[in-house]
Amino acid sequence: MNKKMIAAMTAAITAAVGLSGSIVMASEAVPTEPFGDTVKYDPTVEINDGKDISVELWEWGSDDLFQQVIDGYTAIHPNVSIKLVNNPWEDYWTKLPLALSGKNGPAIFNVHNSYHENLINYMAPLDIPLEDLQADFTGVDAHVIDGNVYYIDYGMMTGSVYYNKDMWEAAGLTEDDIPKTWDEMREIAKKLTIKDGDRLVQAGLNFNGDFHQNYLLGLNYQLGENLFQEDGKTPNVNSDAMKKVMQMLVDMYEVDGVGSKDFGEKGADSFGQGQSAMVIQWGHYYNTLNTTWSDINFGVFEIPTFDGEPYAYNRYNGESTFGINKNAPEDQQAVAQDFVKYFLANDEAQVTFNLAMSTFPAKKSLAENEEILANPSLKVLAEHIDRYIWPGPMPATMETTLQTAGQNIFFNGMDIDTAFEEAQENIIRDMKNSTFESVESLYAYAE
Amino acid sequence: MFKKSYPLQSRSEIILRNIVVTAMVIFFSVFLIVPIGIAFAGSFHEWNPLSGTYNFLGLDNYIEVFTSELFWKSMLNTVIFSAVVIVFRVGLGLAIAYAIYSPLVKYKSFFRAVYYMPVVTPMVAVAFVWKFMYNPQIGTINQLFHLDINWLMNPSTALLAVMIMTIWKDFGYAVVMYMAGLYSLPADAMEAAKVDGANAWQTFRYITLPLLKPMTLFVVITSIISYIQAYVQILIMTEGGPGTATYLASYIIYDEAFVKYNFGYASALSFVLFVITAAFTMLSFRVSGTEE
Repeated sequence: MNKKMIAAMTAAITAAVGLSGSIVMASEAVPTEPFGDTVKYDPTVEINDGKDISVELWEWGSDDLFQQVIDGYTAIHPNVSIKLVNNPWEDYWTKLPLALSGKNGPAIFNVHNSYHENLINYMAPLDIPLEDLQADFTGVDAHVIDGNVYYIDYGMMTGSVYYNKDMWEAAGLTEDDIPKTWDEMREIAKKLTIKDGDRLVQAGLNFNGDFHQNYLLGLNYQLGENLFQEDGKTPNVNSDAMKKVMQMLVDMYEVDGVGSKDFGEKGADSFGQGQSAMVIQWGHYYNTLNTTWSDINFGVFEIPTFDGEPYAYNRYNGESTFGINKNAPEDQQAVAQDFVKYFLANDEAQVTFNLAMSTFPAKKSLAENEEILANPSLKVLAEHIDRYIWPGPMPATMETTLQTAGQNIFFNGMDIDTAFEEAQENIIRDMKNSTFESVESLYAYAE
Repeated sequence: MFKKSYPLQSRSEIILRNIVVTAMVIFFSVFLIVPIGIAFAGSFHEWNPLSGTYNFLGLDNYIEVFTSELFWKSMLNTVIFSAVVIVFRVGLGLAIAYAIYSPLVKYKSFFRAVYYMPVVTPMVAVAFVWKFMYNPQIGTINQLFHLDINWLMNPSTALLAVMIMTIWKDFGYAVVMYMAGLYSLPADAMEAAKVDGANAWQTFRYITLPLLKPMTLFVVITSIISYIQAYVQILIMTEGGPGTATYLASYIIYDEAFVKYNFGYASALSFVLFVITAAFTMLSFRVSGTEE
């Protein structure tokens, strides 16, 4: 996910949380009994021997969301004061590592795994038994480093198809027409496309601006190929699967004519403005539509596959739990450890965060939670959520280089083979000093 | 600290001078010399200050710079971008300044302010507005001229579109500079030309233009320095695309440092660019000096 996408997501989440009056945690009665599944939180245990202590929690947005967890925690431990510090996304990733390297950094901070390499050297491992985390949450193994876990995912976000119900109906389509395969998807897209002579009036499908994130970095799994080769470090960009996906995208625009590279800079905006009938977007888009483009009557369905039996449906990325500053004073670290345990054991906090972020809960016991399944963007993922792969915290070059490759193909007339060959070389160069190692081999159905 | 060099200076003047000079030295050391030194040392390392990585690489970063196709492509783009924008900035600036300077034009201050307004408007705001104007579906430019061009995503027009925006934003600076130059021209030279029967074109060509040469040199040199560092308009309008069609030298530095966190390579790029900028500046001085 690139920076703009994350910034947009943050704005949408902030608006969603702000608009929602139903999110309550601190207002509930203060718990007096231990709660949680395997990871349990005992509210009767005093923190810092009951003496007053203050810590900071840094984040980049969604203040209300974080404040609710803080309020819930400090209601149990009134001697603890947690100051919420908001740094905008653009500054956060410069200020945070510099603050963590000193003595006065925040004890607790929000993590995005795309900045894993810049943060991991400053993080303390979670003081929770690994097997307890594994028992309660999916995807924990991918976060194990030398037997320790520094943060895990509380939710999983991935791409689904968003469609305009009014355009769908106008084209004579019903719920029964929801496509399961890409061939069906292309036919539906044709029916949804409206042209005035040669001029495109309504795109059936629009992937402008995000084809690299939402198609190239994910559909390869449907064809049985990982994003990285067996060594976990060499990119697998110049692959048959990647080329097949790219060819399909080119054909959709140039053969099927269901959209155009010149029809809007961003497919997501075009859909929101009522110019495109379908887009593939990640979960955060659900909040964006509800807040920014609330007049769009939309539905969601699961991403199609090539043959109905994919190796995996798509890539997912995790929303991360809090990080703990290993350079913070010991008493502050103890509060931070306790706060993270409270967050992990607290189902209400987990549901609230996942709904706010439109992520599917990593906590296994919440997979069939009613509130979660009432969210259409999460409901469509429920059946096959174990069939999504997280490649690990990929360096930014994977996205930016594939964007360049795609633009070279669409706009600069470069052939697909040359573009991906060049992309492969550039990513290898950019990653030569990277410590990244893919965790695709930990996928439950890895072959 | 500093030896008294002028007998009429009072003790208080000397103290004040020492304080001011010391403050300047400290300021430039802390905010200029030291950071430049750190960046220079960093250019020989694999360096990510955010993760704490700092491994010696020798000349590897510099070798990579000079063997990078993207670097040379971006340098070519930078030369084209700078040359075109500077020519139009100087040409338009001089023409409009001379027009406003004419005794026939009233409301000179108004025109000067109007042409200078884009200069003081933040580049980020201007770039966003122009990006909207270039929009292929709803942009003003396509609608006004009945065109169907995806200006910023067509490799033939993307850099041109950014250059047009930059010229529009920046030529007002040259207007103001040239007006200052025109008002400081010696009146006797103009009167002598008039007495000798020179027409308007001859006066401009053989009197005004040579006398404005120091100002032209100043505008050109400051423009070279400025445009070799240009990246904000690229970041906002094209992000270097389509593909790498609009990559400028400074945009690669931004991309390497703040997207890929490859500060060592970015520092090496910066120093290569610094040397090139210095060379261009010296060349401009040399050309000017030779002609004189």
